[in-house]
Amino acid sequence: MTTIAVVEDNADNRLLLHALLDGPYEIVEYENGSDALAGLRAARPDVVLLDISLPGMDGNEILAHIRADNSLRTLPVIALTAHAMTGDREKYLANGFDDYVTKPIVDETILVRAIERGLTRGGR
Amino acid sequence: MDSHTTTRADFPEIDPEALARLLRFGGAKLLADMITLFLEAMPQRLSAARSALARNDAHGVEYELHALKSSSAQLGALRMFRLSEEGERLARAGTLDAASGVLNELDAEMPRVHEWLASARERA
Repeated sequence: MTTIAVVEDNADNRLLLHALLDGPYEIVEYENGSDALAGLRAARPDVVLLDISLPGMDGNEILAHIRADNSLRTLPVIALTAHAMTGDREKYLANGFDDYVTKPIVDETILVRAIERGLTRGGR
Repeated sequence: MDSHTTTRADFPEIDPEALARLLRFGGAKLLADMITLFLEAMPQRLSAARSALARNDAHGVEYELHALKSSSAQLGALRMFRLSEEGERLARAGTLDAASGVLNELDAEMPRVHEWLASARERA
């Protein structure tokens, strides 16, 4: 089964993502960067949804660790952010994210399409 | 009344469509659980922002208000969203005196949001 890793510190956002994605996908959840990096190596998800604003390591730092890790570097990683400022999409893609989804989530199909693009890109 | 307050008064306080969307995403249980998590987190986030402000930790204020912005947007607490967004921006700019004023407005907004969402949870 396709596994999606959700890295998100807000419990309500994790609950929503679980409600939207559980069933078609298996969901593994992490609340911070250190837990995520340890968990990703063990869980080997197919796609990562990575919040940008996190306690400790932020999403950009976590992504840098993922890209520097031989066992994780090819993982499709989607930035999940409530920043939503002009130019954000280009900035996150330039930083090495594979895709970009904004919060609040108002159309679940945008999220699912980004995941499916990530799965295709990752050869899943 | 300052100019910021005058501007924000143009925005509606709530967006009932956000709650309808959550119902569509996951039914009454998701809606009720999302509200419960938010009502627990809201005062904790504001308290943590106040603590960060007291130690001149602009990044801490920004982080807490960003999280509050994200959750209030998903639940349709529009005025709280706008205030959090403004406080986040002020904290990012290092203008903590101004951010302190926004925290006062958020404190005043909190009971209204609590009443609205608690009522919506009862009806869910």
